[in-house]
Amino acid sequence: MADRSPQATRLPPGRHPLPREFIAQHQRSRIIAALAEETVEKGYRAVTVADIVRRAGIARNTFYENFSSKEDCFLAASEYAVKEALRRVVDAASKVETWPSRVNAGLAAFLHYVSSEPALARTCIVEALSAGPAAVDRYERSIQAFVPLFRMGRKVSSKGEELPATLEETIVGGIFWILYQRIIMGQAEQIEELLPELVEFALTPYLGAEAAKRIAAEEAPSPTAG
Amino acid sequence: MLDLETRERAASPERDRIVEALIEIAAECGYADTTIELIVERAGLDRPAFDRHFRSKYDCFISAWQEMNESCLQEMVEAFNSQESWPDQLRAVACEIVDGLRNDPGRASFAVEVLAAGDAARARRDMTMRVIASLIDAGRNEMADPESVPHTTAEALAGSAYGQVYAKVVRGDAEELPGLVPQLMSAAVMPYLGIDAGLAELARGFDPPTRYRRAVAKKKPPSQDVGDPGASAEEYPPELARLPPGRHGLPREFVVHNQRERLIAGLAEAIAENGYSGTTIAHITRHAAVSRRTFYEHFSSKDECFVAAYDTVMEELRERVSAAFESAEDWPHAVKAGIGAMLEFLAAEPHLARLCMVEALVAGPVVVERYDAAIQSFVPYFQTGREGRPPEVLARLSPTTEEALVGGMVSLISRRIIAGKAEDLEELLPDLVEFTLTPYLGSAEAAKIAQEPEG
Repeated sequence: MADRSPQATRLPPGRHPLPREFIAQHQRSRIIAALAEETVEKGYRAVTVADIVRRAGIARNTFYENFSSKEDCFLAASEYAVKEALRRVVDAASKVETWPSRVNAGLAAFLHYVSSEPALARTCIVEALSAGPAAVDRYERSIQAFVPLFRMGRKVSSKGEELPATLEETIVGGIFWILYQRIIMGQAEQIEELLPELVEFALTPYLGAEAAKRIAAEEAPSPTAG
Repeated sequence: MLDLETRERAASPERDRIVEALIEIAAECGYADTTIELIVERAGLDRPAFDRHFRSKYDCFISAWQEMNESCLQEMVEAFNSQESWPDQLRAVACEIVDGLRNDPGRASFAVEVLAAGDAARARRDMTMRVIASLIDAGRNEMADPESVPHTTAEALAGSAYGQVYAKVVRGDAEELPGLVPQLMSAAVMPYLGIDAGLAELARGFDPPTRYRRAVAKKKPPSQDVGDPGASAEEYPPELARLPPGRHGLPREFVVHNQRERLIAGLAEAIAENGYSGTTIAHITRHAAVSRRTFYEHFSSKDECFVAAYDTVMEELRERVSAAFESAEDWPHAVKAGIGAMLEFLAAEPHLARLCMVEALVAGPVVVERYDAAIQSFVPYFQTGREGRPPEVLARLSPTTEEALVGGMVSLISRRIIAGKAEDLEELLPDLVEFTLTPYLGSAEAAKIAQEPEG
């Protein structure tokens, strides 16, 4: 239960004396994990349902019991990842008091999740901006999921009412883009190091550059803390 | 000056018709359902005509996309240069992009559909995005402390603007794009000029800056044409004399009289003429004056030949940079010498510069990986600069500072090459030196070293 990542929930082979619902849920995440791994190897366009089925070690029928198509599976993967990321972000943010600290804690949890799930992250972030209209809806919904967390910053900003309406979309989209660039350059492992820069980026429009920089530096874990 | 693309287009109205037809069909049917048959039918041509210019549907998409990106980059840089000061420069670029997408919905749809072609299309787009990021990043020059904004900020702003524009285009809502401009401008200005300046941009609305008239853009300095064959052709051995010459002789490695080298030189020449995608093996063997069979004795494909050419050029470049770096007395001057050597080489060999800095990005995933690796290989030169710096300086550096410096440098250099100004690259030296040394030495010391006469 501690780790809900799809890779970690692979069942041992053999017979499964487990509740039906658990198996069904498990099969979905296993298929999603297989889609993500295949996508990293071949690129989304080249992946076939047969590839996914082989990688997941399931019957073709089982795939179609869960998803109507590869696209359906892709959208589910993205939905799953966003839900999971949001859960972690909200969880981390709720442990601290002020809004700037929450941004820092939430972003730290987000970066940690992305760097621990590079295949899934690549599938959701990299392919979202190249996989057509349905993926764009998904991409925008992913962004919208995080928008309210930043919008709270308008309450602590003296100019909160006047800020551009799409500011939060710009912040979330910008963070996604930076992660996309790092993932595509094979630097998923270094993503967590971006935390202070991204915190500064996110806080600047609400608090001004100086305060944002100061808070980002204060919140950054000291290198000795491990 | 006619750049390569324009020359190519002027030379081939047939190719032009195919590309126009491709763009229409792709906008109507999407990448997957676009076929060569549909393209040639729309163009009123036949299949052999298509085959004269492109190897495949994929090839046709990628070369059209390459050209679209290049002309878009040129228009953006012209718009930027049409204004005096920074927020206006950026606004001119934003308005240029938005107008382009509204006035030419076919091209806008193509820009969406082409991404289905995979990594090469995406890499080309990301290259354009890096240039846009560098135009945003110019905002730091307006600041009292130009280094106070993280380098990822401009990248993030460019990327999220792309996402928002892309979504509107995909939905067919291009008419709403002007409304996005003040929003995006506002967010882009805040990190550099402060929140109030950002709000002022918001209040301006769409408000395209008055130029941004072609007349102003045309006031470009008379540029030196890349061509001028014959100037130094005599310095080359016979088989290499065909390679469009730069100011300096080719490095020794290039001069070895063997077929492999000839083929590599032939490839560089063919690419200078046709672009990567437009280059066929027949072009290469013709330029190299060897038989097709000889080609296949050395390389299994055009891609493999390109990789060999790329590796040879990059190895030469690395050697020169490394030698220059080693020869200097201290680190700041070593950086200056290294950048100087790089610019000198690229300026002297504009076609090789184009091959390794621009064409590499459309030559498929293998080369794109090498391109990224090559960029990474310059990171350690800058990392050395951390040694012996006081703690307050080290605290200011982020782990990605070096990567950002190399990325920024490469995008500035590529921009010149794309604009057909490779020969003027050495003018960038003081700016690049100052830009890269500032994080380590502070802007005053960095500027001093940047301005020192060479020697």
